[in-house]
Amino acid sequence: MIVVDHVTKRYGHTVALRDLSFEVPAGVITGFLGPNGSGKSTTMRVIMGLDAPQQGRATINGKTYRELSSPLHEVGALLDAKSVHPGRTARNHLRAMAASNGISRSRCDDVLEFVGLTAVANRRVGEFSLGMSQRLGIAVALLGDPGVLLFDEPINGLDPEGIRWIREVFRTLAAEGRTILVSSHLMSEMALTADQVIVIGRGSFITRGTVDDLTSAAAQDVLVRSQDNARLADAISAAGGTTSPGPGGSLQVAVLDAATVGQLALRESIALSELTPVRASLEDVFMELTASATDYTSSPGAADV
Amino acid sequence: MSEPTVRAAVRFEWVKFRTVRSTPIGYAVTVLLTIGLGILITFAIRSHWHTMDPIARFAFDPVSTSLAGTLFAQFAVGVIGILFITSEYASGSIRATLAAIPQRWRVVTAKVLVLGVTTLIVSEVVVLAAFLIGQRIYAGVVPTATLGGPGVARSVILGGAYLALLALLGLGLGLIIRHQSAAISVYTSLLLIVPIIVIILPSSWQNTVARFEPSALGRSMMSVTPSSNMFSAWPATTVLAIYVAAILVVATVLIERRDA
Ligand SMILES: Nc1ncnc2c1ncn2[C@@H]1O[C@H](COP(=O)(O)OP(=O)(O)OP(=O)(O)O)[C@@H](O)[C@H]1O
Ligand SMILES: [Mg+2]
Repeated sequence: MIVVDHVTKRYGHTVALRDLSFEVPAGVITGFLGPNGSGKSTTMRVIMGLDAPQQGRATINGKTYRELSSPLHEVGALLDAKSVHPGRTARNHLRAMAASNGISRSRCDDVLEFVGLTAVANRRVGEFSLGMSQRLGIAVALLGDPGVLLFDEPINGLDPEGIRWIREVFRTLAAEGRTILVSSHLMSEMALTADQVIVIGRGSFITRGTVDDLTSAAAQDVLVRSQDNARLADAISAAGGTTSPGPGGSLQVAVLDAATVGQLALRESIALSELTPVRASLEDVFMELTASATDYTSSPGAADV
Repeated sequence: MSEPTVRAAVRFEWVKFRTVRSTPIGYAVTVLLTIGLGILITFAIRSHWHTMDPIARFAFDPVSTSLAGTLFAQFAVGVIGILFITSEYASGSIRATLAAIPQRWRVVTAKVLVLGVTTLIVSEVVVLAAFLIGQRIYAGVVPTATLGGPGVARSVILGGAYLALLALLGLGLGLIIRHQSAAISVYTSLLLIVPIIVIILPSSWQNTVARFEPSALGRSMMSVTPSSNMFSAWPATTVLAIYVAAILVVATVLIERRDA
């Protein structure tokens, strides 16, 4: 289990994390969501003992990272796939990392095999594509067969094939009972990979839960088609809802739910030809959750890009 | 209790040290400069010996002149030490290193051991070779020295130690500065610009200060008889070792405190 306990981290005048607290339960995949600059990478570095917070602390199985005497056996991390000396071969990089924690050479060959890099093990890492570097990073993370794994935006820059592969890897690792924390700024990605998500914005905790919980808690619009949209719209505004023109002569209703809209139509004796709850897209939910906490909000006209 | 982990850290650093090109290239340059320039310098002295003035011939030191290549090789070993750490900051692999060994002083200790011992072994062999080749070249024309002569073996051994200490100086500066080119500039300034600054000082100061600058300490370590206003060999070694130790202590304190 990973515990982030009232962590505040400043870089000069920038407050990257403000009194951030959360727990990552053991044995499941936890998604770590937040917009750009919200502090996901900083949190990972604090957990790894790389950056020291001004206040609070992060522990793994009850110990701070610096208290771990053979850390690769307890925690594996892929923070930045490209941060390997470019002149070293993949095999030598793994062997060096293995030597640091008394891990055998045969284990290096095993993890190379697992990530499918055996054929290129003797090539210099500088020649690797991003996808190959990600695979090497995962191999390093798995070297010590750790129970806790951290991945910072592992999907970034991968092609569809690579994404499918990495999802598969996560599932395999989770099935083995490992604790996995994966950061992302895509809620849709987390819906596919994570059992639950933790959402942060501007360095503060926002919410946590399963993706389904968060989605159903989010406000839903209703799409309605009727024989008299104008009169229905009046009735809806009178009841406190708002309307906007929807696709193909329909009416999009916010604030009120489908049942209320149905009752209003019945009361006004307006025949309905369609009444559909519009499930908010995952990204809409995410935007809604983090709207007040987004560092770089784009102008309205630039949406949908 | 921490002994096995320091040993693991040493193995870690050793694999990293020997698996990048800059290490063998750096040592090849060290060999080339120490022996190659040693040959050129001793040949030049041999061919001008008969036209040299008598005072110069009287004060002539066949040992330190045959080791003069080390004063160029000192840049190569310094760069080896600097790259050993700054390449990790440049690539970001320092984070992998500190994730593997979060007790950062262990990383510094392991780097010091790997770099110091390797450079010492290489340098001792190379300096001895430069000495023997130099005496061969002098033989028959210029007075020569043998390892059995007073202070000769000491000069040769300390010549190798000088290079090893300078490699560690480079490592310490690299740890503190973290950027390759900035660290190399500071290192070369210490060896080349500081002596020039010393020359500008009033001569009364010069006499006391000049002996403390690093390359002067190196010359003291390698000369059989100390010249006036200079340290003799062992005190010079001690002063240089204190410099290196102080820089490494500062480097360790900084790496423990700073964000990676
Ligand atoms: N080393 C640093 N020095 C100064 N500021 C930093 C540093 N690292 C992070 N920050 C700042 O802290 C904040 C959080 O950054 P962080 O990289 O943790 O966010 P993130 O959630 O990982 O973003 P992204 O999705 O873009 O990767 C940002 O405002 C960033 O500019
Ligand atoms: Mg990030």
